[in-house]
Amino acid sequence: MPPDEQALTFPCAGEWLTAILSPAAQCASPLQRRGVLIVVGGPQYRAGSHRQFALLARALAAQGIPAMRFDYRGMGDSGGPARNFEDVDSDLRAAIDRFMAAVPGMEEVVIWGLCDAASAALFYAQHDRRVSGLVLLNPWARTPDGHARATLKHYYVERLLQPALWKKVASGQFEFGKALRSLTGLLRASRGGATEQPGAAVPAPSDAAAPAPRASASAMPASPNLHARMQAGWQGFPGPILLIISGADLTAQEFLDMVKASRQWRKLLAAPRVQRRTLPAADHTFSRREWRDQVAAWTAAWVHETGQTGNRAHEIGARA
Amino acid sequence: MNTIAAAPPAQPFFLDSGAAARFCLYHAPVGACRGAWLYLHPFAEEMNKSRRMAALQARALAQHGYAVLQLDLYGCGDSAGDFGDARWEIWQEDAARGLAWLEQQSGCAAGLWGLRLGALLALDVAQQMAQARPLPGLLLWQPVTNGSQFLTQFLRLKVASQMLTDGRDGGNNSGGTAALKQSLAAGQALEIAGYTIDPALALAIETRSADKFTPPACPVHWFDIAAESGRPLSPAAARAVSALGAAGATVSTHVVAGPQFWATQEIEECQTLLDATIESLPEPCHAA
Repeated sequence: MPPDEQALTFPCAGEWLTAILSPAAQCASPLQRRGVLIVVGGPQYRAGSHRQFALLARALAAQGIPAMRFDYRGMGDSGGPARNFEDVDSDLRAAIDRFMAAVPGMEEVVIWGLCDAASAALFYAQHDRRVSGLVLLNPWARTPDGHARATLKHYYVERLLQPALWKKVASGQFEFGKALRSLTGLLRASRGGATEQPGAAVPAPSDAAAPAPRASASAMPASPNLHARMQAGWQGFPGPILLIISGADLTAQEFLDMVKASRQWRKLLAAPRVQRRTLPAADHTFSRREWRDQVAAWTAAWVHETGQTGNRAHEIGARA
Repeated sequence: MNTIAAAPPAQPFFLDSGAAARFCLYHAPVGACRGAWLYLHPFAEEMNKSRRMAALQARALAQHGYAVLQLDLYGCGDSAGDFGDARWEIWQEDAARGLAWLEQQSGCAAGLWGLRLGALLALDVAQQMAQARPLPGLLLWQPVTNGSQFLTQFLRLKVASQMLTDGRDGGNNSGGTAALKQSLAAGQALEIAGYTIDPALALAIETRSADKFTPPACPVHWFDIAAESGRPLSPAAARAVSALGAAGATVSTHVVAGPQFWATQEIEECQTLLDATIESLPEPCHAA
C-alpha cells in the first residue's frame, strides 16, 4: 500500500494552484528519481473523467513512481480566470517546481497528458530540461477542416455500416433533413470553407448516436498554427515519447490523419524514441476499467524502462 | 488589487488517512465568522463539471465572512476508495464528519450546501441530524427531486454507449434502462460511463425523493436554474417545495437564468447563481 497522498497548494503568477501528490511506495524507492506529472486535458479537473487521473496516480505510486496532478489556473479548485490549453507554460513550470520540492531526490519528470494536455505538454517540454519523457494520449490537433474530414471519414462511413442507423431509417425516426444539413456543413468545412471562423463548432451530426464529444479545455479557438506548434514541440524535445491512441476516438483519428498527411510527421513518429500503443476499442477518455488499467500498466512499464535506458540519450540531446 | 490573489489560499488537506482519508478544501472566512457551509458535491461526472462553480461560490462565501468546507465523498474526487465501493450510508457519515470538523475549526454553526444529488443528500442528512442538532440552514442548488428518475437518466448513458459500440438499438423503448435496473436488483454492479455503481448505492438513490423528507427546522433556500429569466420553478421542484412547506419547512425559492453547468460539455460559469446565493444570505450585522 503506497503512503498517504498529500494535498498541496502553490503559487503561479499571483494565483494559488491546488495539487495532489501520490508518493511512491517505499519498496521501490530507487526509482523515485523520476516522477510523473499528470496534466489535465479537456473540460476536467485534476481527478480526471471518471477519476482516471486519481486512479492512475495511485497505480503509479504503488509501482514506485511518484505522481502529481494539479489544476492549472482557472480550472477546478485553482484560482484565476479560465484559460486555454495553449497558455499554461507558467502553470506547468510552477507545478514541476512544487513536485520536485515535494519529492527529495527526484531529478526528472515525465509529463503525462490526455487530449489538449498532450498538446500543451508538447509545447512546454522543450523548454524545461527537467522533463525527461512525454506520455501523450489522443493528442488534440483539431482544426476545423481536419475535424470535418475526420468526421466524414471515420464517423459517417462507420455509421452507414451500423444496423441501428438502418433500423432508424426503416422506422422513420431518422431525420434526413437535419443529417443532410450536417453533412453539407461538414463537406464545406472539410474543403476549408469553415476556416473563416476559426474554432467555430462544425455542425454536429444530428443523429442521437453522435460521435463522442470533443474534450477540449475550453470553447476558445485553438490558434491557426496548432499543427506547426505541435510539430515544433515534438522536434524540439529530445526525450522518449510514448503515444497512446484510442481506436474509437475522433480526436485521436484527427491526430493520426494529420500525421498521415505529412512526411515530416510520419518521420517523427517513426523515430526509435517514439513508442506507440493502441487500444482499438477504447473511447476518448478510456472509460472502462480494463482500458484505464491498461493505460496505467503501459505508463508504469514505459516510465521504468525509459528511466533506465533512455536517460543517457536524453542527456546527449542538445537543448536550447 | 486582485482580491482573490490577495486573499490567503484555500487550504487543501486530507481528513484522516488510509481508507478514512477524505479530500477537503477549507476556505477560511474573511473577517469575523458569520456562519459556515459544508458543500456536498453532485454525482459522478456532474461533480467534475461543476467543480469550478463550487470553487467560485466557496471563495465568494469566504469573502462574505463564511467558512466553507468542500469535502469529497468516499470514492469520489481525491478521496480514498473506489467509486464502486461507495454507499449512501458512508456518504451520510462523511457529511457528519465534515460538519463536525468545520464547526470545530470555524467556531460557527454549519449548514449544508448541496448541488444536484448532493442536495438530496443534504436533505437526508438534515433529517437524520434533526434530533441531535438542527442545522442553521440549507442551500440547495438544482436538487435532484426524484432519485428513481435520476438513476434512470444515469442508466441511459449505458444504453447510449451500448448503441454506439454494439450498434444495438436501445433508444426507442424503455427496455434498456429497465433491464439494467433488473440487473441491479439482482445484485449486479454496473459500469456506466466509467463509474462502477454498486446495487446497494443504486437502491439507496432510487428510494430517495425530495418530497419525502421530514422538513428541516431551518431556513431552506432552493435554487433552480432556468434557460431564461422570469421562468417559474419546474413542476417537479414546485411539487417538492410545496410538500416540504406543507410539512412545516420555510422554503425560499429562487429561479435564476443560466447554463446547466453540471451537465454542459465545456466548463461553464453561472454568475447569476453565485450572486443570488450570496443575496439569499442574511444581511451582516455590521454596526456601521
